[in-house]
Amino acid sequence: MAELLFETYGVPAIAYGVDAAFSYKYNQRHGICHKDGFAICPGFSTTHFIPFLDGEPVYKGCCRTNIGGYHVTDYLKQLLSLKYPYHMARLTWEKVEDLKMEHCYVAPDYASEARLFQEGTKEADDKIRSWQLPWTPPPAEERPSEEERARKAAIKERQGQRLREMAEAKRSSRINELENELHGLEFLLQQLEQVEGDNVPSFLKTTGYVSKQEIESSISKVTQSLRKAKGEPKSDLAETDEKTDSSANEKYPLVNIPDNLLSPEQLKEKRRQLFLKTTSDGRQRAKQKRFEVELERERKSQQDEERRLENPKLYLEQLHAKYKEISVRVEQRKRLKTNGGHTNGNNASGGVGRGERLNAAQRERMRLLTTAAFDRGKGEDTFGAKDEDWQLYKLMSKDNDDDDEGQDDEEAEMNRISSRLQELDPSFIPKPDLGTLQPAADMPKFRPHTKEDYQIVLGVERFRCPEILFHPNLIGIDQAGLDEMAGVSIRRLPSRCEELENRLTSSILMTGGSCLLPGMAERLEAGIRMIRPCGSPINVVRALDPVLDAWRGASVYASALHFPEQTFSRLDYYEKGEDWLRRYQLQYTL
Amino acid sequence: MEPEVVEAELVLPTCLSFKKIQMHEKYPKGQSRGRQWKHLKQILQAENFQNGSPDEPNYINIESPPSMHPPMRICDMTGFEAPYSDPRTNLRYANTDVFKMVRSLPPEYVQRYLALRNAAVVLK
Repeated sequence: MAELLFETYGVPAIAYGVDAAFSYKYNQRHGICHKDGFAICPGFSTTHFIPFLDGEPVYKGCCRTNIGGYHVTDYLKQLLSLKYPYHMARLTWEKVEDLKMEHCYVAPDYASEARLFQEGTKEADDKIRSWQLPWTPPPAEERPSEEERARKAAIKERQGQRLREMAEAKRSSRINELENELHGLEFLLQQLEQVEGDNVPSFLKTTGYVSKQEIESSISKVTQSLRKAKGEPKSDLAETDEKTDSSANEKYPLVNIPDNLLSPEQLKEKRRQLFLKTTSDGRQRAKQKRFEVELERERKSQQDEERRLENPKLYLEQLHAKYKEISVRVEQRKRLKTNGGHTNGNNASGGVGRGERLNAAQRERMRLLTTAAFDRGKGEDTFGAKDEDWQLYKLMSKDNDDDDEGQDDEEAEMNRISSRLQELDPSFIPKPDLGTLQPAADMPKFRPHTKEDYQIVLGVERFRCPEILFHPNLIGIDQAGLDEMAGVSIRRLPSRCEELENRLTSSILMTGGSCLLPGMAERLEAGIRMIRPCGSPINVVRALDPVLDAWRGASVYASALHFPEQTFSRLDYYEKGEDWLRRYQLQYTL
Repeated sequence: MEPEVVEAELVLPTCLSFKKIQMHEKYPKGQSRGRQWKHLKQILQAENFQNGSPDEPNYINIESPPSMHPPMRICDMTGFEAPYSDPRTNLRYANTDVFKMVRSLPPEYVQRYLALRNAAVVLK
């Protein structure tokens, strides 16, 4: 430093001093503290404790703890970013520093203050501060207005109209096409009849058809599709279905006749008829069943409706409860499938790797296989001595995913309820599907964010962070805290007498930025009282301006008349060298 | 360099009139800069405080001794008094609710909480 100043910048003379000492002298001039006393200076990265005797610092009695405002801010930042991982980006160093300056305070007694918060008393609630991050409420899903809806309906109608027109046009063009084709084919057939026998193959070659039958079949195909295109009722097939009841006997005349009365051909015919009959019967039955199910559903919804009309509120509540229950069940099952049981809470944390890929059943199977593989090598093989052993193979085999149907049922039920809820309760929002398992910390993501999610709450942190100045071991620094430093400093003083010590402790000046924390003086006083003999006078005062007093003190010092006597000049530097500077100490009293 | 940039004093001018030795004289172009930042530890070592008399105060021996007070144990997550500590994660906790949280923390967060009080496992 001296080298740089003298050689590069050509400074005529310099004086080095301790900031806390300048601050002490400045405050002494203003009558804040006496000529004997302590200066305690919790700065940005270190805290110093300097005793003063006759207005001069006693360096032998100094002590320093490597903790300061930087650590407090850093601690607060870390704590908040651990508490609010989502808002990590918002917690910049500057912002946290602001938070610290604005909200942190020193608790008179950490333990009792913490207990207040732990018990959640009213007093503690008053002390909690929260910082609202910019948050815009999600756009409320308001019902579209009447005209909006009308407009939408009109648009839809128009679109539908257009689509219908398009479909109509397509259909007519297709009908045209098919008719043309039909005419062509009929004409071809007529031509074919006119052509003489021998010339048939050569004539056919030119048309691209192989035989007359093919032409005929294609004609029938075209006529059929033409009919379909024209929208005529689908000929006989559908109608027969309706008629089967009455005409079963007429249609299958052979079914009821004993075998021995029939000729072999008839027997064949009978078998065919039997087959036809059973299939049509089956169809009939299925239809019947569908109809019944429909009826059942109708009845159920009717009952539902009745119950709703009876007591709409209760009904809605029940529905909600049911929905919740089922959704929980479905979710659980899904989770089980994707990530096995949550028997111990630790699983969420360890949800990395294998656990995520195998479901519970698969994992169990894996376990069995591995144990089986390991057992192979061990001496005695008692496998099979007991009957249960063979059950193992059943478990090992793959087909134990049997609970799928139940799940499907439940999902269908859930969908039904949610749709019903949606039509009854406009405020109801179906829960989004939790496809894959998320760790517990991520859960809040799925519900819509509220204002509270964007609040950074400062509770215990408000006094927990400054507490590290008094207990550096909280952040792993094994040194004496602020209050204890007084004792250390007193012990280090070269001459000890009680009268002097009392004089010193009755003028303790706090300076340095971290002193601005409210409650600091009271806490220091209490802390120092604990290590001093009973009844000794203790007086802790704060500097006029803890941050800038050191500068003011130095500037007063430098403008004093006797200042040049205290400096270390360039001549001294060149004559005595840099090492001499070590022994140089200025007198703070001019 | 563009004259307007120099004019706007956006960058330090190459020649500072109040300096006796200019930067380019001390570190000629092409030569690697002889300047390196030293850590506090290196500076302290270079100062050879051990050689001085032990009575004289210096940077090292004014440091505070370890605290004689019983260490305060607070819950790593909530800051309450912590009578318990979790043997698995080594985190201190105040009550069962916090314990549940402790057990559900991902290991990365556990380490970050431990690092707060300098107790994290450091891999070297």
